[in-house]
Amino acid sequence: MKLQVKLALYNTLTKVAIILFTGLLILLSIEKISYNHIEVRLEDKKEETLRSLESSEINHSLSTQQVYTDNNILNEEFINITPAKYDPNISKGVKFTTETRNLNKKDFQTYRILSHKFNFKGHTYLLQIGETIESVEELKSIIKKFTLLVLFIALVLTLISDLVFTKFLLAPFYKIIDRKLIKVNDPMNFDYEKIKTTTQDFELLDDSISSLMKKISNLFILEKQFIANVSHELLTPISIISSRLENILLHEDLSEGSENKMHASLKTLNRLKSIINSLLLISKVENNQFDKGDMVMIAGVIKEIHEELEDRIEEKHLTFTNHLKYIFSIQGNRPLMHTLLFNIINNSIKYNNPKGSITISDDLIDDIYAITITDTGAGMEQKQIDNAFNRFEKFDTDEKESYGLGLAIVKSITAFHNIKVKISSVKNKGTAVKLIFDHAA
Amino acid sequence: MNVLIVEDEKGLALEVDEFLSHEGFTVEHARTKKSAEEKIFVNNYDFILLDLGLPDGDGFGLLKMLKGLEKREDAVIILTARGAVDDRVMGLEQGADDYLAKPFSLSELLARMHAITRRKHRLESNDINIKGLRVNIQNRTVMYNDERINLTKKEFEIFNYLVLNKNRVISRTNLTEHVWGDVLEINSDSNFVDVHVKNLRKKLSQYIPIDWFETVRSIGYRINI
Repeated sequence: MKLQVKLALYNTLTKVAIILFTGLLILLSIEKISYNHIEVRLEDKKEETLRSLESSEINHSLSTQQVYTDNNILNEEFINITPAKYDPNISKGVKFTTETRNLNKKDFQTYRILSHKFNFKGHTYLLQIGETIESVEELKSIIKKFTLLVLFIALVLTLISDLVFTKFLLAPFYKIIDRKLIKVNDPMNFDYEKIKTTTQDFELLDDSISSLMKKISNLFILEKQFIANVSHELLTPISIISSRLENILLHEDLSEGSENKMHASLKTLNRLKSIINSLLLISKVENNQFDKGDMVMIAGVIKEIHEELEDRIEEKHLTFTNHLKYIFSIQGNRPLMHTLLFNIINNSIKYNNPKGSITISDDLIDDIYAITITDTGAGMEQKQIDNAFNRFEKFDTDEKESYGLGLAIVKSITAFHNIKVKISSVKNKGTAVKLIFDHAA
Repeated sequence: MNVLIVEDEKGLALEVDEFLSHEGFTVEHARTKKSAEEKIFVNNYDFILLDLGLPDGDGFGLLKMLKGLEKREDAVIILTARGAVDDRVMGLEQGADDYLAKPFSLSELLARMHAITRRKHRLESNDINIKGLRVNIQNRTVMYNDERINLTKKEFEIFNYLVLNKNRVISRTNLTEHVWGDVLEINSDSNFVDVHVKNLRKKLSQYIPIDWFETVRSIGYRINI
């Protein structure tokens, strides 16, 4: 869940809790206060009634019917005296209850009722004085509705305002993430300009990322220097030895044996050179030291490679079929794309059986271009496919000088260009290498 | 022809010196940018072999200075271990005639120097005569008594390279690199150079005996003149 949403939810929940609490408090205190008032009034009335027991109306009513009832017109109040079981030692206390009664057999009303027992002329009577609390109930329901309404409005308002505010508050944060982390492919092109924010925490984040990037780019520069140094420091001595051997070969008094050894050494040196150059190429690609500014037409590159490798294809009596249907160009580095396709096609020649075939086809599905190079060669097992892209991984091959770096180069170049590689292969049947130029990836 | 080797690695400079002297060049050395500048000011050279990484500066600066001088036709071949495509492009853009990445073979260097000489001086007699065969480098043809021998591009390249480096054993590795360039993972050991040589010899032998075109067992080839 986004921080913005979390904050808004938290704020809403706390506000709901506060409103609910205060609403409840108000309801309870209103009930308490109004009941209190009513009870005080009822007590007064009780005193008054007891004082006027001797009055003719009540006295008369009691002595004739043993019951006295008095309601006012709107049934808002009533006084009721009923006989009870005789008890000479009754308590003087009063009891309050809330009950619903219908006094005129029509409508029910809720009353706060005072009950009191008293002795009069050798009889025990129960005096009940009631006063309606409809008005209090009404007030309570209004307050309830009002509280609910306020609650709802507050909820909506806080949610919206919190979302808007946190969005505004977090804007610099997302800007930092976007500009300083997501859009940075290469620490060399890092944008050190500060993102404007008044939040100190974000300033801290911005500064930390910048200083981290500074460290990374320093390491990056070191790595680049290291690569340049290695290339210089290793290749120069190789160059000296190879020149020296070539010069020794010029001497006419050299025995045939020594001459053979010289040539063998030159070949070994050449192998060393190839390995160093391959590793250098991989690290340069992985360090983004190549420019991606060329528009490379795949079909053109394939044609070029076909011409370059024609003699090897003929030598093995292979059938080379070019089924390319689309003219597709990719933004990238032309020499690298050339090396990429060259290595794949060269492999399909190298591992092919004599009189086999190589087929190049392409398709365009949902704007995603893919090219497939299929051969009828030795094929690989799944385990071999999994390891195929590792450095120095090589398979049984007729060619003694395979360095096992061809597919490692393919891997780094495809990663550099965001190209997906899929290998499907059947042992002794052949291999298909599919390059998927998915720009969304 | 005189050559200035601008190279701080003494060992390499000495080997190149020995080789080129053997080929009849007059060779001078400069080990720093400063001494190279002095030498270039004083003398005209047919060739300047320029290393890019010098102890007191970048070889590009030297190239720029040379191109700033008037009436100079010194051919510049950049020799560098940096090998980056950018360096290659930049070098050629700034007026270098060729570019060789270290480690290079001396016979390749010689072939490049010959190519530049022919280009610069537009040699009238472009033809090289070998046992009655006329090799025309400009048109990339081989003639025998006005009859053209039909060679493929690669067969011609191989023949031409062997002729340029006559009387010297040229290994398959060396030939592969010359003809196919410095392509990674092309393996010198495979016999596809042999296929071309076999075809080449078959074609030549239809015209003259080719006992001078020697196969050196397990190494490569040599043209003896």
